[in-house]
Amino acid sequence: MARSLAGFLALFPFVLICGAASLFQPISDSHRSAALELFTPTHGSFKSLEETYEALRTFEVLGIEKKPDVTATACRSISETLGSLTSTPKDLFYALKANSIVKCKINEKTSEFFFFFTLQKGIFTRLNAAVNGASSLLDFYYSIGGLVLIKGQTSKADVYLTDAEGVFRSVKAFSQSDGRWRYSSNNPESSAFAAGIALETLAGIVSLASSEMDQSLIITLKNDVSKLFDSIEKYDVGALYFDDKLVDGREHQGPLSTTSSVVRGLTALAAVTAGSVNLPGDKILGLAKFFLGIGVPGDAEDFFNQIDSLACLESNRVSIPLILSLPSTELSLTKKDSLKVRVNTVLGSNAPPLTVKLVGAFSSGSKDASLVESQELKFDAETGVHILSNLPKSIDVGSYTFVFEIVLHESEHVKVYVTGSQTKVPIFVTGLIKIESAEITVLDGDLGSIETQKKLDLAGHNAVSLSANHLQKLRISFQLTTPRGRAFRPHQALLKLRHESKIEHIFLVGNSGKQFEIVLNFLGLVEKFFYLSGRYDIELTVGDAVMENSLLRAIGHIELDLPEPPEKAPRPPPQPVDPYSRYGPKAEITHIFRAPEKHPPKELSLAFLGLTILPLLGFLVGLLRLGVNLKNFPSKAIPATFAILFHVGIGAVLLLYVLFWLKLDLFQTLKLLGFLGVFLVLVGHRILSHLAATSAKVKSA
Amino acid sequence: MGRSSSTKDAQALFHSLRSAYAATPVNLKIIDLYVGFAVFTALIQVVYMAIVGSFPFNSFLSGVLSCVGTAVLAVCLRIQVNKENKEFKDLPPERAFADFVLCNLVLHLVIMNFLG
Amino acid sequence: MSSIIASDLLKPFKLKTKQQELLIRVSILCLVYILAFITRLFSVLRYESMIHEFDPYFNYRTTLYLTQNGFYDFWNWFDSESWYPLGRIIGGTLYPGLMVTAALIYRLLHFLRFAVHIREVCVLTAPFFASNTTIVAYFFGKEIWDSGAGLVAAILIAVCPGYISRSVAGSYDNEGVAIFALLFTFYLFVKAVNTGSLAWGLASAFGYFYMVSAWGGYVFIINLIPLYVLVLLITGRYSMRLYVAYNCMYILGMLLAMQIRFVGFQHVQSGEHMAAMGVFFLMQVFYFLDWVKHMLSDTKLFQAFLKITVTFAVAVGAVALGVGMVSGYISPWTGRFYSLLDPTYAKDHIPIIASVSEHQPTAWSSFMFDFHILLFLFPAGLYFCFKRLSDATIFIVMYGLTSMYFAGVMVRLILVATPAVCLISAIAVSATVKNLAVLLRSKNKVVQTGSTKGTSSGKASSKASLDQSQPFQKNGAMALLFGAFFLLSKYATHCTWVTSEAYSSPSIVLAARGAHGNRVIFDDYREAYFWLRQNTPPDAKVMSWWDYGYQITAMGNRTVIVDNNTWNNTHIATVGRAMSSYEDEAYEIMRSLDVDYVLVVFGGVTGYSSDDINKFLWMVRIGGGVFPVIKEPDYLVNGEYRVDKGAAPKMLNCLMYKLSYYRFGELLTEYGKPPGYDRARGVEIGNKDIKLEHLEEAFTTSNWIVRIYKVKPPNNRW
Repeated sequence: MARSLAGFLALFPFVLICGAASLFQPISDSHRSAALELFTPTHGSFKSLEETYEALRTFEVLGIEKKPDVTATACRSISETLGSLTSTPKDLFYALKANSIVKCKINEKTSEFFFFFTLQKGIFTRLNAAVNGASSLLDFYYSIGGLVLIKGQTSKADVYLTDAEGVFRSVKAFSQSDGRWRYSSNNPESSAFAAGIALETLAGIVSLASSEMDQSLIITLKNDVSKLFDSIEKYDVGALYFDDKLVDGREHQGPLSTTSSVVRGLTALAAVTAGSVNLPGDKILGLAKFFLGIGVPGDAEDFFNQIDSLACLESNRVSIPLILSLPSTELSLTKKDSLKVRVNTVLGSNAPPLTVKLVGAFSSGSKDASLVESQELKFDAETGVHILSNLPKSIDVGSYTFVFEIVLHESEHVKVYVTGSQTKVPIFVTGLIKIESAEITVLDGDLGSIETQKKLDLAGHNAVSLSANHLQKLRISFQLTTPRGRAFRPHQALLKLRHESKIEHIFLVGNSGKQFEIVLNFLGLVEKFFYLSGRYDIELTVGDAVMENSLLRAIGHIELDLPEPPEKAPRPPPQPVDPYSRYGPKAEITHIFRAPEKHPPKELSLAFLGLTILPLLGFLVGLLRLGVNLKNFPSKAIPATFAILFHVGIGAVLLLYVLFWLKLDLFQTLKLLGFLGVFLVLVGHRILSHLAATSAKVKSA
Repeated sequence: MGRSSSTKDAQALFHSLRSAYAATPVNLKIIDLYVGFAVFTALIQVVYMAIVGSFPFNSFLSGVLSCVGTAVLAVCLRIQVNKENKEFKDLPPERAFADFVLCNLVLHLVIMNFLG
Repeated sequence: MSSIIASDLLKPFKLKTKQQELLIRVSILCLVYILAFITRLFSVLRYESMIHEFDPYFNYRTTLYLTQNGFYDFWNWFDSESWYPLGRIIGGTLYPGLMVTAALIYRLLHFLRFAVHIREVCVLTAPFFASNTTIVAYFFGKEIWDSGAGLVAAILIAVCPGYISRSVAGSYDNEGVAIFALLFTFYLFVKAVNTGSLAWGLASAFGYFYMVSAWGGYVFIINLIPLYVLVLLITGRYSMRLYVAYNCMYILGMLLAMQIRFVGFQHVQSGEHMAAMGVFFLMQVFYFLDWVKHMLSDTKLFQAFLKITVTFAVAVGAVALGVGMVSGYISPWTGRFYSLLDPTYAKDHIPIIASVSEHQPTAWSSFMFDFHILLFLFPAGLYFCFKRLSDATIFIVMYGLTSMYFAGVMVRLILVATPAVCLISAIAVSATVKNLAVLLRSKNKVVQTGSTKGTSSGKASSKASLDQSQPFQKNGAMALLFGAFFLLSKYATHCTWVTSEAYSSPSIVLAARGAHGNRVIFDDYREAYFWLRQNTPPDAKVMSWWDYGYQITAMGNRTVIVDNNTWNNTHIATVGRAMSSYEDEAYEIMRSLDVDYVLVVFGGVTGYSSDDINKFLWMVRIGGGVFPVIKEPDYLVNGEYRVDKGAAPKMLNCLMYKLSYYRFGELLTEYGKPPGYDRARGVEIGNKDIKLEHLEEAFTTSNWIVRIYKVKPPNNRW
């Protein structure tokens, strides 16, 4: 019982957080250590170039210094892939991507530089051909992406698409009216994932275009984007994300990869087009919250998607989200903690100058007016934290929702950054609760006169021992006061009586203001107590999530003297099974094998084997003494052969039996026995009739 | 008094039995010897069982029953070939012997199957 | 009847060779053989070629396994589909004779290139063996009386309803071959006693072996034969022939029987088999004494010897028996055996035996139904037997009397009594008709040949001389003969009628007469079993009352909790307890047994009366026998079993009631009656608003006879 109670107490704040406004923490060191764990090269290299790129990109974004050194192996496979004529645009794409981070020092020597240069030319022409021959969105994506990467890696300006607008239109042809895209013209399914890819491709085309693009194309594209954002989905904590409905399991992407694809496309598009993409800043903030709300994913792919998208959001041209976070949401009144607030970008870098205002504080669960007036937090430039050193007097222990507002100092920042109008944060204000004038009393039934009274020190150890009969009453009372001197009503105030036979009774301790009191009238409780006299242990529980000195304390015991149960008294219920023993692991089953039968000593068995031969010897000796003869054995040749055959046949059958015992199975034996039997019957009939004839002759003669 | 008379009786009994048995034909005596052999073998096995227990019970049973079966079949043969038995006058001893052999073969086939 | 025909037909050819008589006898036997087969085919013609009752489905399933997997696999088969979670060692807990026989016939037919299905073989095994039984009956009758009696016995047993009840086509049960084996063993033993030959003794041992391998009723043989021997010993009819026959049969038969694992060591350990062993030892002592007596001419000496030997033998025997009993080496008699000796035993002590309708004591009407005129001919036959006492007639008399007693104790044992009754009645018929025929014939001869004397046999002449004092004897004999004709023809029509009406309906397919007299077929059982086979996961566990266990495993191919092999009373009682508990308690039990589906049989819509509600009191009794929380009075109101509004509250809310009547309250079964009118019991049910919490209806057959419920998985803990 105690265990489950504790478990319940622990569960309580968790439930509370989930129910109310939520708080998002920017990327922190936990991500960095997780990144090193997730992206661990096996034998000095990653499985594929795609994985290499993801790992390196993650390390780069997170600014990890002590990353595993895979440059050499990565470079080798990059140059292999680039050099190979059979690599697909996809391979080339990832090779170039990885190279953009590794920056292989291929151009150290001039010869290699030329080689690389020619290589680039070759790749360029191959990719260009791929663009012209592309029929599906992914073909475009890989080839265009490759070209963009080549453009980024060489200073030469001759990397461009000749017919940028035509390619643009053919990619645009895959778009759907709801802002989603199809993968290819013959695949009717459209998805947001494909939309993200398409946006990134189109952004690449724009950047590769030799001349200015047709603005109307760009505008329709931006319309598509805002349509796509109409289909955005929302968690109730303010996080926004994209998700593709599952059409078939084959190509399905999860919400994380879908959203990150869209984010990549959007930021790439915003980077290359003039003028802003018309999107409300709240949506960008919602996307950032979605990525941050995931926490630390356990999968390398998800992790990369999260970090890469956040990096895209960190410096995008639409609007840069700022995240408000609190180092601690639990403030202790007793320790006089101050309220600290931090404002960062999603990756944790510093925000532009701004002011954080506490605009309101609400007791959780109530819709009352704000408990505090609006006040600004002081900025501590050294730590980068906004501080409110003294909590307002009106804030007592309890759980609250604080509302913050961020005000940017410079007006041009307002266009660049998005902060969200107001941020609601659940705050727990805890404190030590004073427990006073606790006492336990045994009262006489009708008169109410005090029989025994004992003071209790609920902070310390108690071992009262009382005794009472069924005509008396038990009273327990105490007072609870908050540090601010107000009445405190804990979530749990329970009194438990446990009989020797483990039967428990739990009573709720009621209160009026500060005063908590419970009176147990044993006369009315005898039935509930199943007429069980004897020793009852008393246990008091006072607990709350914000009470720093929650207690579950054995007070002592009381000897109850209850009347004998009448005839029809209810039986005590069977004890509830401990949930651990019911659902926990069961004791291991040990198999009991049949004990081996004890065998006699070998000598004894052999001795008896010898003994069994004795009667046989006796039989033979007896035969000799009786003077057995073979007079009757036929003397003529033919009957003699039959007689011998007869005996041989019997011998063969006996031998067959021995074989049966040793190795043959029943059916083999029966088959052989059939043949032998026929033989034996023939021969036996022959010899026995011969013998009968002779004896008859003798008799008649 | 009673004891001495009973021992005397027993002695007289024994003597007369022996003299009567001496007149038995030789072939019957052989069968009797065979029966005795089988019975003694069975007894030894029973004693062994009494000492160490009957654990492979099927083996014990097949051992003892093969002896008992052999003995009983031999007794049957003895009855049938005994010329003094009027009931079996029209049954030739050779036929009786053939039956005996057949029964024994079946008996021992079963015993072998049962021996384990 | 046939003997009359035979004798009538014989008359013109009397002076010719005996071969004609033989020819006629053989052709009559052939006709009887065919008759015995075809009279059992009603059900195949009317329905289809299928297996009938509950147990035969198990036999069919095992036979199928035997033909598919071979003998050794069958012998070592552990079946995990029944008695979940215990399983059952099939090879060690069944009588394999029937399956092996059917498999052999199947192999033989295939060897002869007859590509029949094993099911057809199984369906026709019982009629085939019934035909063989008639042949055995002929030889048996010939052995104990004469060939005329044999012929009559053959034809009587061919159509006797008591035997047909267990051997119609489709009743693929042990008894089908066991009666053949029983009669065959007895015949061979009587033959062995008559000839005193070891070979016949060996043959009867093999017959006994076959019987042991086929049916638990072999205990009857192993007790009847020693009893017979004992009676012969006491009446002073001991002979060397008896010694040879009994010893050879006992020692070889016992050894052979031990090869059947289900019987195992019972022959030397169980109390039911001790009589045979005791008689065996007694025979040895008796023979030994006889031999010594033969050797000693002096009587006084022999008396002394006798005194010593007998005291010694009795002391040794008593000590051996006592030690065996005390050490538990010799097991005491089982409940079934006690219930045979004391018919009220089962009702008080073993409800599971008493719950089976065929274990009930027999009513006179069923004797009449199954035996008809044989019931009156039987005492007459006994009279003839006593008049001409021999070893063989003593045997048949003892067989008849003991089996009649057992038939009175238990309905199903009428089957065992049938061959004896037929044989004894055949003696009566044959002897009577023969006497009358001889009477008539001699008279005729006197008329025909005038005053010629001494032509007829001595017996006939004595009759003829008797005739002079009774002038109307010829007419009387004539009338009596016609009377016998009439009776026998009545018997034949009765047998045919009974076979057609009562014994040829398979319980798995129900038939009823519609409003216009047409036949309505309810094929709900098979519908339900095939539903199980097709729609449930292959490892689903089905709980039902044990009656349906074999059918579910055989036809539904699903694992069952209990089945018709009632070897574990506790397990059955657990199911009984689940059925008679409230739903939540039952759910706990079903969870612990890992039950996935529950199957109940319900006749409220069709008026099918042998459904689970009518069997329910037995579930309560069997469950209460092991778990005292289940009390029979809780389900009764003033000792009365009812399901309407006045029923006991526990009854109205127990699982069986809920499952049977779930949503039945919405159904209008009969015009002019309220909804929820139960046609099987003729009442309106008491609880029409049944809610199921832990189970859900999965399937109900078209006539509601079988209802299947799925046990829901437990609710989430949080």
